Amino acid sequence: MSVILPYDMPALVTTAPLDIHRSTVLSEWVDWNGHMNVAYYVLAFDQASGAFMRNMGLGRHYVEGKHGMTFVLETHVTYDREMRGGAPMRFTTQLLDRDAKRVHLFHEMHHAVEGYLAATNETIVINIDFKRRRSAPWPEQAADRLEAIWAAHQHLPRPAKAGRTMGLKKS
Amino acid sequence: MIEPNLGAPLDVHRAVVLPEWIDWNGHMNVGFYVVAFDKATDTLCNQFGVGWEYTRDKIGMTFVIEAHVTYDREVKQGDPLRITTQLLDHDAKRLHCIHMMYHAGEGYLAATNELMLMNIDYATRRSAPWPEWAMARVETMAAAHRPLPRPPQAGRLIGIKRK
Repeated sequence: MSVILPYDMPALVTTAPLDIHRSTVLSEWVDWNGHMNVAYYVLAFDQASGAFMRNMGLGRHYVEGKHGMTFVLETHVTYDREMRGGAPMRFTTQLLDRDAKRVHLFHEMHHAVEGYLAATNETIVINIDFKRRRSAPWPEQAADRLEAIWAAHQHLPRPAKAGRTMGLKKS
Repeated sequence: MIEPNLGAPLDVHRAVVLPEWIDWNGHMNVGFYVVAFDKATDTLCNQFGVGWEYTRDKIGMTFVIEAHVTYDREVKQGDPLRITTQLLDHDAKRLHCIHMMYHAGEGYLAATNELMLMNIDYATRRSAPWPEWAMARVETMAAAHRPLPRPPQAGRLIGIKRK
């Protein structure tokens, strides 16, 4: 049975890539190396995933109304350049793939003023049934929005840093 | 420097899920799994003499350049965590390893974190070879970990698998 969401949906953004999430490096995210700690990149990216889910109609109301939740299953981060406390961040998000209950996202974090790429995050997010706490298909309204987003994103070139496996490349 | 621990895998790091690590889904947030794993990385770096004092004394730093996390099961506030670490590979300035996070009471695997660490020169803030003393300790631990089987979570490619 598909979940019917009783709240109002936000206006759908189909810009490709999605380019709406902005944030700032908080002082408590900085570690003894004087830069944003690795874990807080993941926290910052998770908020960008939250922006993508809100665009699907699955924001805070989705969880607070006990309709469902979204869980991250797996994530891969490349740390490309340091970010200091107070640095402004701009995130872009490309939908790489999707199915009945999962999305495969690729985020890029840029320094919002200097423009450089700071990090990338490839991630799989899955829809969760609130009561059973197990995976379940997207609610119908969210699935419809996802298809509209996919139509806009599916022809974007695949980012060079997507699909990486880790290892020491020896020359 | 601390006494080397040559247990394979390294099995010394313990932690507890803090209240501020919990998100609106009622479990540890994805970012804080990495906070917990990063503290296990500090424990590993201490083994090589490249931990907090290494940076405090302005000798060098260790940066993570790439990370892969699998979220295998939820953990809740107050849960005890046990994190083990296996060295997978290394070269003159990098170290490839994987952490496994277990619920310390129930024993289940909660998450894994594969990492690429790089040694950084303090003054230039650029990559540099491991100090000699650290390299010696890395080599010793790598020899102890070599017989371990490679965990299936190492070297994963992200994607939606279709039947």
